[in-house]
Amino acid sequence: MTTTTTMVEVRGLAKQFKSASGAPFFAVKDVDLDIRKGEIYSLLGPNGAGKTTTISMIGGLIAPTRGDAKIGGYSITKQPLEAKRTLGVVPQEIALYPTLTARQNLEFFGRMYGMNGAALKSRVDEVLEFIDLTDKQNERVDKFSGGMKRRVNIAIGLLHKPQLIYMDEPTVGIDPQNRRRILDTVVRMRDEFGMTVLYTSHLMEEVQEISDRVGIMDHGEIMAVGTVGELIQKIGEEDMLIFRVGTQAVSSAQLEKLKTVEGVTSVTYEQVAKTTNGEGNGNGALPADGRVVARAKRGRQALPDLIGLANTDGIEIQSVEVREPDLEAVFLSLTGRALRD
Amino acid sequence: MILQKLLTLAWREIYVTFTDRSMVLILLVTPLVLATIIGSAFSGLIGAGGGRDVPVSDVTTVIVNQDQGLADGTNYGQIFVDLLVPPADLSPEAANAESVLFELTNAVTLDDPEAAREGVSTGVYVVAILIPSDFSARIGVSQEDMTIEPTTIEVIGNESAPISASVVTMVVRSIANDIASGNITIASTIEALINRATSDLGFGMEFLAANSSGEFNPDFESAFTTTAAPITIEQQTVSGDVVGFNPLVTFGSAQAVFFMTFTALYGVASLIDDRKDGTLQRLVMSPTPRWVILIGKIIGTFVTCVLQVSLLIIGLAVVGIVLQGELTFIWGNNPLGVFAVVLAVAFAGSGIGVFVSGIVKTQEQSNIVVTVIAMVFGILGGAFFTVQGIPIIRDLTQLTPNYWAVDAFTRLSQLDNAIGLNLIVLVALGAAFFTAGLFLANRRLEF
Repeated sequence: MTTTTTMVEVRGLAKQFKSASGAPFFAVKDVDLDIRKGEIYSLLGPNGAGKTTTISMIGGLIAPTRGDAKIGGYSITKQPLEAKRTLGVVPQEIALYPTLTARQNLEFFGRMYGMNGAALKSRVDEVLEFIDLTDKQNERVDKFSGGMKRRVNIAIGLLHKPQLIYMDEPTVGIDPQNRRRILDTVVRMRDEFGMTVLYTSHLMEEVQEISDRVGIMDHGEIMAVGTVGELIQKIGEEDMLIFRVGTQAVSSAQLEKLKTVEGVTSVTYEQVAKTTNGEGNGNGALPADGRVVARAKRGRQALPDLIGLANTDGIEIQSVEVREPDLEAVFLSLTGRALRD
Repeated sequence: MILQKLLTLAWREIYVTFTDRSMVLILLVTPLVLATIIGSAFSGLIGAGGGRDVPVSDVTTVIVNQDQGLADGTNYGQIFVDLLVPPADLSPEAANAESVLFELTNAVTLDDPEAAREGVSTGVYVVAILIPSDFSARIGVSQEDMTIEPTTIEVIGNESAPISASVVTMVVRSIANDIASGNITIASTIEALINRATSDLGFGMEFLAANSSGEFNPDFESAFTTTAAPITIEQQTVSGDVVGFNPLVTFGSAQAVFFMTFTALYGVASLIDDRKDGTLQRLVMSPTPRWVILIGKIIGTFVTCVLQVSLLIIGLAVVGIVLQGELTFIWGNNPLGVFAVVLAVAFAGSGIGVFVSGIVKTQEQSNIVVTVIAMVFGILGGAFFTVQGIPIIRDLTQLTPNYWAVDAFTRLSQLDNAIGLNLIVLVALGAAFFTAGLFLANRRLEF
């Protein structure tokens, strides 16, 4: 049941396609999903995970094979036009008319959302200012840089002040400066306008940065949902401390001493063969490098004691690396493969 | 709300088309230039002075001069024979060198009008000129009878060579006009002079003296500028259909419809481009029913076609005025009829466009199918050359909107307002393709 705090409620949503060979397969498998009002909810998963298919069904672009979704209480199968009015769309590709100006594009799509007259003009002025393109509003979009086009693409989604805006990989293929600007825009949409944002990405870093909650998706299924912290907790929440020790051998006794440091749960010694390029997988002929790997609940707190003890015990540390758990690790833990695979 | 969305969608189609310079070049400038070039070529042939750069020659012509002449031996029908039939003692080369009309018509004479008709029918002659037996009696003037009566010269052309027939018709009309206007001037001048000589004795004496010395002739000649035309030139096919050929009307309208076909077919088929760009997906995800998106695009394409053909019609009319050197509207005197044809052919084209958009799935397919259909329709519709002389092709042309539109424009230009059938066929073609295409094109909005 949709509550006053729920913006999107997805129940048993599934989509079946036919493969190139004609065999049917489910791109989305009976997905359940709840998105709260005013939160940034990210669907994280590799390409082909079913993210775009899921939001395409929620947005009314494709019909679900089974199941239903409600946006703001409106069923996408029974009240599609009402549901669409509640939704702003920022597709992955630049969906603009290239020969129209930024303003003409905004006015065109504004009318398609039922806006007109002075209200439309005023709203177009507002969003142009929001995306910082007021001075370029009368230039044709095909003269814009990729980042500027992305901003107009976003502005169209914002135009009719939707309660929910879905953004499908909006930072794909743009430079870091424009990417930063877009991520800031997403956060402002939530903070300044109280919008609910459904965000999809395969980039762990940006999802981790902006999301209130994350749904991890793979093979058409939601594997886990929660805040970044909650998801990390699910896999054990341990930091990894890596000490490189060169070709020096480290004994089991030395490892046992390191294990006595408070918070450390395990210490292992690994040898990694070097290639001519440096660290490698053992194919090179150079002597193997050794490293001591310690796992700890609060790695940075344990680090000084570990270094001190190693020095005392004659372990010559060449470098130290602290790896804190992230969504990449969560995804790896849940699916058995890396997010970028 | 729906209306606003339909108009917005249609507006975008129209705006994008007419603000794109390369599109304007293709849709408007190119057909106008092509039609003007063809029109200019033929206008140069019939223009003042009748220059020797004749693109049409050896139009095998037969003249049947049935004119009985006047009592004083004057035979105006013989003027046509003298101007068009080379003297028997001249070689063909010498005849061509002597007169452009000899080079043009390669004319011979016959006595039997039926034999001449039969000759045209079988292709022995391209054109037959039939001068009636009372031609001189009706057109001639004398001091005893200064009445000029209407008469008709028949020009019968072979259906396979309407251009040649029309060129000869124009030549005949030119000769006839000279004869008629000369006689009218002579009649009116002599009448005025006699009236004055009767009332003014001094002038009467001068008139008699001048008349006997032949001094009036230059005055008569300078007055040969009247446009009064008591002689009607009726150009027919052997089957009796009245035909006419204004190159600007025929090729101009064919070019206009040909290029409009591209607009119509590409217009609706651009759904594929919109899909590729992602704008179609964005529209589908807006609170706009899919049928509104489709109909909006169709309306936009239809209005674009109407504007395109209308602008070409106006442009060709201006070209016609420039080429003819006089303020005449080449499309006839029924502008409402012309606009009705524009609407009907735009509707037919848009209907076919909807159908095409339903059967093609990719941009590549769209390019091939649109080009093939437009070219076939264009060729059959006479955009490049006339195909009316080829029996099988002649029947096929009637399956194209191009034929019915060009035929309607041609009829209107000849002041023939019988275009009802043309309009019905065009609207029926559009409706049939539209109905079939609407179902198919709706699939292009599925994802």
